[in-house]
Amino acid sequence: MAAKIKTIWHRFTLGGKVSLAIIIGIAAMWMLSPMVARHSHRIPSGPVLEAPSAVHWLGTDDLGIDLWAQLCHGAGASLQIGIGTALLAGVGGSLLGVLAGYHGGKLDQLIMGICDMMMVVPQLPSMIVLGAFFGAGRSNMIMIIAIFAWAAPARIVRSKIRSMKHDKYIVAASSYGAGFFHLLKTHFLPGILPLVVVNLMRIFSHAIVAEAGLAFIGLGDPIAKSWGMILNRSLNFPGIYFTAYWKWWVVAPVAFLISLMLALAMVGRDLERVVNRKR
Amino acid sequence: MIRRYVITFVFIVTVNFLIPRLMPGDPFLYLSVEDGQVNTSFSEEQTAYYRSYYGLDQSLLNQYIRYINNLMQGDLGTSIYHNVSVVSLLAARFPWTLALVLVSMTLSCLLGVLLGSLSVWFRNRRSDEILYTTMIILSEIPPYLAGAFLLYFMAAKWQWFPLSGGISPFNEFSLSNAGAYLKELLWYGALPVTTLVLTRLGGFYLITRNSLVMVFDKEYMKTAKGKGLTTARRLFRHALRNALPPILTRYFMSLGMVFGSAVLVENVFRYPGIGRLMQEAVMTRDYVLLQGVFLLMAVSVLLMNLLADLLSKKLDPRVS
Repeated sequence: MAAKIKTIWHRFTLGGKVSLAIIIGIAAMWMLSPMVARHSHRIPSGPVLEAPSAVHWLGTDDLGIDLWAQLCHGAGASLQIGIGTALLAGVGGSLLGVLAGYHGGKLDQLIMGICDMMMVVPQLPSMIVLGAFFGAGRSNMIMIIAIFAWAAPARIVRSKIRSMKHDKYIVAASSYGAGFFHLLKTHFLPGILPLVVVNLMRIFSHAIVAEAGLAFIGLGDPIAKSWGMILNRSLNFPGIYFTAYWKWWVVAPVAFLISLMLALAMVGRDLERVVNRKR
Repeated sequence: MIRRYVITFVFIVTVNFLIPRLMPGDPFLYLSVEDGQVNTSFSEEQTAYYRSYYGLDQSLLNQYIRYINNLMQGDLGTSIYHNVSVVSLLAARFPWTLALVLVSMTLSCLLGVLLGSLSVWFRNRRSDEILYTTMIILSEIPPYLAGAFLLYFMAAKWQWFPLSGGISPFNEFSLSNAGAYLKELLWYGALPVTTLVLTRLGGFYLITRNSLVMVFDKEYMKTAKGKGLTTARRLFRHALRNALPPILTRYFMSLGMVFGSAVLVENVFRYPGIGRLMQEAVMTRDYVLLQGVFLLMAVSVLLMNLLADLLSKKLDPRVS
């Protein structure tokens, strides 16, 4: 296992390694936030709309709360929603894909029918409608984004399982009486694990983008200030562009969002390349 | 295949019906709630009256039938916030979004095809790699960020374009100065169109490039090169034609997918389309309007996907 991770790391491009470092850096920013951010992320701790200085590293927002502390804490909200959605939709979708691919027949048709519908329906408007109706807490967000995100991994895993099902060793194993769970554990899982990992990455980045988009419209968790919410507040400040405040209040969340998204995309592409090469 | 779309449509309508009824809480719990102090409630007979008025005292099935009935007659309800029929609001705002989507997707497709062809022309050279990387980075930037960026630089700082809206609110237009009207429309719509074009450009570029590369590997392209045709003729006359089906399919599917981005972009530029209508409905919790807008968007997307499917079948009958 450790050897596998080492080979993957060696095969990454320079861009991939830098991107991975960025992602780990952002996660560290969140987890070490009591040590890294000296001020509170909830209580005003300085003058309103102050420019970046030695005391407040990225300035303050319109309530006087330190922006760097908000970003550190908000990273947690974004990352948690991303990981939660990735696990729920990635693992759940892959499981459904395995079931559909292995059993075939009516179950396959049912699952694929629902999958088709989820892919055809417009995703962002549906997420907006669901978010408006059910409220926008963290677990609600995870479920709303996961409802639409499970379709893609289910499809991919199902086609892989369908092609694996006819391999000779699977046929031999099932002729010896191997049940579904044994086949899953011993034979299917190593085959689909690379696919599942790549899909998890993709869903992770998609969830962060979706959550930021929803927060930008106003459907974010108001307590856990994710980056999209910070951006929403800053862009709705009257006359934000005609003052100097945007230079830190808008640029900082935007810069962090873009770098996280680019880093995730880069790592996703590299993983895909590495995984497909081993084939 | 048509059956799949019909099933999806029925599913969307049903979900649209069920969602507000699945919400926790009761619409008639309180008449109004002051901040923690005085809660006025409906009296018993008022509650009974309003329940029967909105049909909420009947069974779910009866409500559903009434909903479908209204839908068939084109009645989508009355907006709570604006107090006019939802259909009239949608009819006023939808043409703006439709124009935005059509113009921006067409421009994006043309530009993407051009850039993709250029990329294949300069294949394996430095300019191809630079273009490829730029396009990938461009495709990752979410639409609202690109929109905010453009809004700051082109509208606020350099004042080349107006800050918001779809048309100047103060001028009167009539048939006589239709040219001026058109110019105003173009001027106000330039930034939203640019944002949407940039959002989708990466996708069109990549699919053009991939499709052209696959076509260039075919045997007839070797024959064309052997005949001594120039690169331009090979590229534009022979290769591009055969590479077109996936690009066109992508075009129609983008027409559907871009409705989601249009919600965000119209929000940034305050463009008077249904995307902004949806955001207003969310902010004022106008559920009737929200359902109507969502239904319209979903139907549009379904129609575009259906067109994409039919077109891809027509262009390339080999596709199953």
